[in-house]
Amino acid sequence: MQNSSPVADDRHHKLAPQRVLVSRKNAGRALVVLASAGFLLVLLIQILHSIGATTAGYTDWRPVLYAYLVWAIAFGIGQVMVRGERGQRALFLFPAVLFTVAVVIFPTLFGIYIASLDWNLSSFEGPHFNGLNNLIGLFHDDYYWNALRNMIFYTLAVLGEYAIAFGLALLLNAEIRARRMFRVVFLLPLMLSPVAVSWMIGKSLMEYRFGPAATLARDLGWDNPAFFAFPWVARLSIEAMDAWVSIPFIMIMLLAGLQAMPKEVLEAAKVDGASGWQSFWHVTFPLMLPVSVTVLIIRIIFKLKLADIVINVTAGGPGGATDTVSSFIYRVYRDRSNVGYGTALAMFYLLMIIAFLTVLLRLSKRWTQKVA
Amino acid sequence: MKQPEHDQHPAKRPNRRTVLKGAVSAAALGSTGGLGVLSEHALAQDNLRARILQLPGVGKGAPTDADWQKVGELCLGPTKANVKEGEFKGVELSFMGLNNQNLHNLLFRGFLRPWEAYTGAKISWIDLAQADYNPRLQQAIATGTVDFDVLEMGAPFEGDVCGKGLASEMPEWVKKQIDIDDYVDYLKPPVGTWNGKTYRVTIDGDCHNFNYRTDYFSDPTLAKAWKDAGNDGEWGVPKTWQQVQIVTKFLKGKKIKGQNAFGYLDAPKPWGGFGFYFLGSRATAYAKHPNDKAWLFDVDTMKPRINNPAWVRAIQDVIDALPSEPADQLNADPNTTGFQQFLAGIGSMIPWWGDIGQVAKASDTSVIGDLVGFDILPGSDDVYNAKTGKWEKLTDGPNHAPNCAYLGWGIYVMARVAGDERRHKAAWSAAAHLGGKDLSLWTVVYPSGFQVHRTSHSNIDEWVAAGYDKKYITSYLNSQFGSYNHPNRAVEPRIPGIFQYYSIAEDELTKIFAGQYDAQTGANNIATAWEKLTDQIGRDKQIALYKASLGV
Amino acid sequence: MAIFTSASQPVRRHHAASRATRTLSRLLIYGALLFWAFVCLFPIYWTVTTSFKSALDVTQGHLIPWLDFQPDWKGWRSIGLSPDSILGTSTARAELVSRFENSIITSLGASVLALVLGSLAAYGLSRFRYKFGWMRNDDILFFFMSQLILPPVVLALPFLVLYKALALLDTRFGLILLYTLTVLPIVIWIMRDQFNSIPVELDEAAFVDGLSIWGAFIRIVLPLAVPGMVAAFILSLVLCWNEYFFAALLTSTDAKTLPVMVASQTGSQGINWWSMAALSTAAIAPLVIVGILLERYIVSGLTTGAGK
Repeated sequence: MQNSSPVADDRHHKLAPQRVLVSRKNAGRALVVLASAGFLLVLLIQILHSIGATTAGYTDWRPVLYAYLVWAIAFGIGQVMVRGERGQRALFLFPAVLFTVAVVIFPTLFGIYIASLDWNLSSFEGPHFNGLNNLIGLFHDDYYWNALRNMIFYTLAVLGEYAIAFGLALLLNAEIRARRMFRVVFLLPLMLSPVAVSWMIGKSLMEYRFGPAATLARDLGWDNPAFFAFPWVARLSIEAMDAWVSIPFIMIMLLAGLQAMPKEVLEAAKVDGASGWQSFWHVTFPLMLPVSVTVLIIRIIFKLKLADIVINVTAGGPGGATDTVSSFIYRVYRDRSNVGYGTALAMFYLLMIIAFLTVLLRLSKRWTQKVA
Repeated sequence: MKQPEHDQHPAKRPNRRTVLKGAVSAAALGSTGGLGVLSEHALAQDNLRARILQLPGVGKGAPTDADWQKVGELCLGPTKANVKEGEFKGVELSFMGLNNQNLHNLLFRGFLRPWEAYTGAKISWIDLAQADYNPRLQQAIATGTVDFDVLEMGAPFEGDVCGKGLASEMPEWVKKQIDIDDYVDYLKPPVGTWNGKTYRVTIDGDCHNFNYRTDYFSDPTLAKAWKDAGNDGEWGVPKTWQQVQIVTKFLKGKKIKGQNAFGYLDAPKPWGGFGFYFLGSRATAYAKHPNDKAWLFDVDTMKPRINNPAWVRAIQDVIDALPSEPADQLNADPNTTGFQQFLAGIGSMIPWWGDIGQVAKASDTSVIGDLVGFDILPGSDDVYNAKTGKWEKLTDGPNHAPNCAYLGWGIYVMARVAGDERRHKAAWSAAAHLGGKDLSLWTVVYPSGFQVHRTSHSNIDEWVAAGYDKKYITSYLNSQFGSYNHPNRAVEPRIPGIFQYYSIAEDELTKIFAGQYDAQTGANNIATAWEKLTDQIGRDKQIALYKASLGV
Repeated sequence: MAIFTSASQPVRRHHAASRATRTLSRLLIYGALLFWAFVCLFPIYWTVTTSFKSALDVTQGHLIPWLDFQPDWKGWRSIGLSPDSILGTSTARAELVSRFENSIITSLGASVLALVLGSLAAYGLSRFRYKFGWMRNDDILFFFMSQLILPPVVLALPFLVLYKALALLDTRFGLILLYTLTVLPIVIWIMRDQFNSIPVELDEAAFVDGLSIWGAFIRIVLPLAVPGMVAAFILSLVLCWNEYFFAALLTSTDAKTLPVMVASQTGSQGINWWSMAALSTAAIAPLVIVGILLERYIVSGLTTGAGK
């Protein structure tokens, strides 16, 4: 993840040489071993119980969860005892890592397993192994590639959202009256749930016959304001709704960046006689690059998951023009219960996103370092 | 949740006639005494039916929670005959159903409250939005997380639930309590049964009928224009799809009452699989041959017929009609065509389930209350014979084939109650109460989401007594029962995963309607995808189940 | 400040001309502000007024109460919150209240938990260098971020199976765990920025004073990071509050949340615009209040972070 301030070396504390008593070390090791053994024991009992090998055990796996919790605590204490200050440092990261791993590891592994299956929930034989067939099928799936092409548009549209949000942030940062009120008002769209946005805006406000947006469009001279009947208009309409919800998020991040900018630099630019445009382009914008990159990447990640609004408002139509990868996966997975293939689609998508983000991060790192 | 007051009340504003009717029934009630247990005597039975139809009573606002509870209370008689008071004390049941539009589960809550009070059982509710229903059910089945005892479900899912042994077979006493022989023919076995066992308490009947605007087809200006344009025959309600097409194209650019006139309204936007029914309604007259029960697949091979000339002609009809329909039609799903267009006064012909007639006069959305007429779906001059591969003209006139789509909702009890005799009985008692003969009359007369499904619902006098206009309700009931009882009705295949077929088809159809493929190519794509799906689900089993569901 | 105020600088310009430019630029600024305020507010205005409309008023696109249409408590009555129904019993209101309670508990719980876990991890990533095998700080951060990427739908079956095994289905605790997972990456990201902006010298001074690493973190650094925590908290709250997919999948009776109820207003028979609008309004009200109360913390919180 790119960040406004890459972790610089001097930021890290030097390790103070500190001796950890040998006995304490051993006690710590013993604790970890003991806790691990206990955890494994509970796990083993439960596995044996669930495969029917023993009668001892619990009705569900909840005790394993508690055992994991106990193990995690013991592991943390053990770390400190064994590794001293190093352990204390690791302790900052451990809770989040252990939590994420615990919640994610099973679903991920199970997900990868499902992705390799031919599994339609309605099928009589149940799931059976399918090897790479899902992957091969995916390459011949027009819907998937069509959705991916649409994603390129949606992703590029983030730049437009960014431009508007930047403009708004500049406005809010100018010397204006009632600044606080404007800030609150500009933040409001963020609060609406996608379901409400789809229905109250997409299906009511932008309705062809009675929607005020359609009425306005007619007054402006568009005879036939069908927002979702023509491919490009539909795509733009969906994008407009998504932008409406998410611009506040970008705006508020950029505004924060602007307010933190050293005033002296701008003063200096003025003294040098730079025009407004010049001082923006040569001073403000470069200084805002790091925060811009961060917010853009977060926004792109969210954009790549765009689904709710599309599902509710156009169901991907007309003719797949507004379909997104996520909304297509929803149809495959939910409407058609084709969970094996649906999961394979998502896993492949995940790989593509990770590759895309890695490249993006590399590039952005180079840019931000150049200006910095 | 309370039914919003204004909404979908079939009883119109009070007028002298309806008020008088109310008074008469009230007098009749007065002579039968209080609310106590009702005898099984026929006269008392009639009084009960008249009485619940006065809840909430004509012109007294839409039914509320209180009315549902009263109806539930009054209809407890059959339950009391089979269950002792407090018999299910301590039993807790979980009920999964739809939370649509303040209908379904919300009614059931009210109906079952007195049942809970009497039997001592307690019910907890799982409410689902319609879009979540299918995935939730499928995933619960697949992961073994069935956490409900009683289930509201549509017949198309029977393959997934009953076919996998998850449902509990209906005991004999329930069949008697609900008078199962009263169901209209098409809802009798094989519908509701699986491998010869009965599973479902039917609470709804579904088929597409044809709704049209009476003012359009009696408009003299349009009639004159029709003649002037050199059309054959008199201006009137189309009886065949060929006529529907001509009328739709004719109406483009015409005006009625100062508004743009439109003919037939198609619903090209996907609707979670349900949109496919609307293509089906256009296709059945072409594709359902009287000598052939099958119309969607070949019965011996499950080879799709979707790309045969009959279906392709139906698809082509949509393509041809779309330019004559409103400009945003491409983004219209059936919900839009029914409730935002037709009931709001746009367009003159749509196929829909009985809901349109039930709410046309009552809903505030509707501006066309008295202007709707009903019929069975249009026919076709010629019908495709899939066996010979030829179009045929029938000797007895156009071929009609009403589309019995979805086959209605039912109440099912899950097999997981089987282990405990009391739970088993309690669950079935609850289901039987909801599917009771008298209670069902109330649900089909008042807004509920459910349509007529029993022979005993055809008594027009009862409807008129409840406040319906006789001509209107006769036309409505004729279109409903005419479809159900039609010898050439097209009954939906209850095979597992049927909605997957529909969903795939919807995806391809939207491409066709957007102009990316012609009808034949698109239909071929659907057929290819369907073949793949059939193989994935298991062809042999599908063939067997398809045959069973058609009764061949 | 950058672009607009500098345009008004009287550099090499005639005085009168500059005044004209200045007026013009003020006009443009306020014009743009008001325009965008309208863009933001109109859909919300539409939603709120729709809850007072009958179907006919919706389908005829009436806009202004009393002028265009006669407002009615219809939408609010349907959820038992109109003046005439608020005192009576209403199953809808009881339902709404229980869902509200569940929504509040799950989103608050998840946001707090994510904030605790996330702040700790963010501080660690900001101050120390870690190495787990080949993973270094950036990789660890990427690992957290990657949890954001997967479309939630594909986790449906795995989570159903997992939660069934752990007996977490239909529990608030189960939802809290899941929501924590989904907002944790954002919290970590915001908080790491926040900690990066706090000079490391402060920590060192604390060590000199004899505080341990944890002591320095809790007593010196954390109080300075409060604004960032508020910002992260609000963003998490919004995301959890509006989460629909898992709420519909993993709950049935006891832990149902609000968004599922909003979605239920649609169905096979048209839309109850008024109930949906009333529910939507009721659902955003708490967030708007939180937004108004804590909005300045968002900006100032991120200010210290983003700009450094």
